[in-house]
Amino acid sequence: MDNTTHFGFKDVATKDKQGMVRGVFDSVASKYDLMNDVLSFGAHRLWKRYTIASSNVKTGDKVLDIAGGTGDLAIEFRKKVGDSGQVVLSDINAAMLGEGRKNLTNKGIFGVDFVQLNAQYLPFEDNTFDCVSIAFGLRNVTDKDQALREMRRILKPGGCLLILEFSTTDSEFLKKFYDFYSFNIMPKLGEIIADDKDSYQYLAESIRKHPDQETLKDMVLEAGFGFCEYHNLSGGIVALHKGIKA
Amino acid sequence: MQHFVLEQALNFLIQNGDVNLEPLDQKIIRFSLKDLPLEVDFVCTNNRIFVVNDINNVSDVDIKLTANVFFALFKGEDLTDLLKQDKIIIHGDVKTAQLLVDMLQAVDIDVEETLSQYTGDIVAHEIGKITGEIKKITQESSNPLEALKDSVSNFLINPSVPKTYKNNKH
Ligand SMILES: C[S@@+](CC[C@H](N)C(=O)[O-])C[C@H]1O[C@@H](n2cnc3c(N)ncnc32)[C@H](O)[C@@H]1O
Repeated sequence: MDNTTHFGFKDVATKDKQGMVRGVFDSVASKYDLMNDVLSFGAHRLWKRYTIASSNVKTGDKVLDIAGGTGDLAIEFRKKVGDSGQVVLSDINAAMLGEGRKNLTNKGIFGVDFVQLNAQYLPFEDNTFDCVSIAFGLRNVTDKDQALREMRRILKPGGCLLILEFSTTDSEFLKKFYDFYSFNIMPKLGEIIADDKDSYQYLAESIRKHPDQETLKDMVLEAGFGFCEYHNLSGGIVALHKGIKA
Repeated sequence: MQHFVLEQALNFLIQNGDVNLEPLDQKIIRFSLKDLPLEVDFVCTNNRIFVVNDINNVSDVDIKLTANVFFALFKGEDLTDLLKQDKIIIHGDVKTAQLLVDMLQAVDIDVEETLSQYTGDIVAHEIGKITGEIKKITQESSNPLEALKDSVSNFLINPSVPKTYKNNKH
């Protein structure tokens, strides 16, 4: 791997990125859910609902949610797999995972396992899960290719990978609006609501640095998945990629 | 979009209709609709169907038919009859095609009645509406998949009543 990588629009030493990302999420953890609702006008709930609906997860399945943060997906997966299934909510960041645990408890959701892990090194046996998901997390991972290979390894044959992530819109109008919003309004709202302009500036920048739909699809196939398709949501501002391990 | 919707509808019906997909495991079945720009692969794996439209895959069987005939399969039309009438063209492993059709028809039990046992009346009613829609659109709609999409999207926006699970392990 190269010695440098990007952290938002900055070039940083590869070995430093993970710590810097940790700093961002340590800082936003307690206000994360509120900010998500405000910044996306609530749309993240619809994107996540679509992700769950597309998962084909059923009773008895084993599901791993990576970079799961406050647990929105894990909660819905838990409802789908029932008591005979298993859901693991994982995140690299202890503060985010702590918020996730609190959130699930408050919502009366039990029976979810919590694991602190880095997406690049998944501490599970080969062929374990029916579904692996990562929502708004992949862009923060330093070596995405390695993470994708790991996700494939721990999926059962026929298992399904879901990547929900900000992406690229073709619409000139949406692009202009979105750029203005991300670089002017988002950091300002971050400053006002969470007293943290820099973290939200990073989040906006990291979205622009993330591979577009076709590039990510190629990366998923390159990692060894048999099939990969994506579906644009909100005009391509967000895309759901779905990979199937052949 | 359509194939995502189709996939959700199929799997919902498979799961709730208790259909065993094992005989079709690892099979790829390609559907091409003659009258609509739709070519999709049904990838059967891990006891579910993924609907993909990456036509670079090597399929086990190719099925060419019109949209109406496609939906007629859900309604229990006999594959052999459709083949005899040239309403359906099959290349490749006909046995796989027959297995799939058997499966689709196994789903076409009294969907509404069956689903209500598993999912409660709200979802059953929605799926019942979808099945009704399928029947209606085979006669009326110039774009059956759009209509199917609408009714399934509607269902997705109003999913089943949430349920809180207790932890049995502790
Ligand atoms: C924007 S949040 C998304 C949280 C949640 N999935 C959601 O959609 O609301 C991104 C999460 O990715 C986690 N993360 C960043 N790098 C990671 C890595 N290498 N491995 C696992 N999680 C990581 C962060 O700690 C953070 O909780």
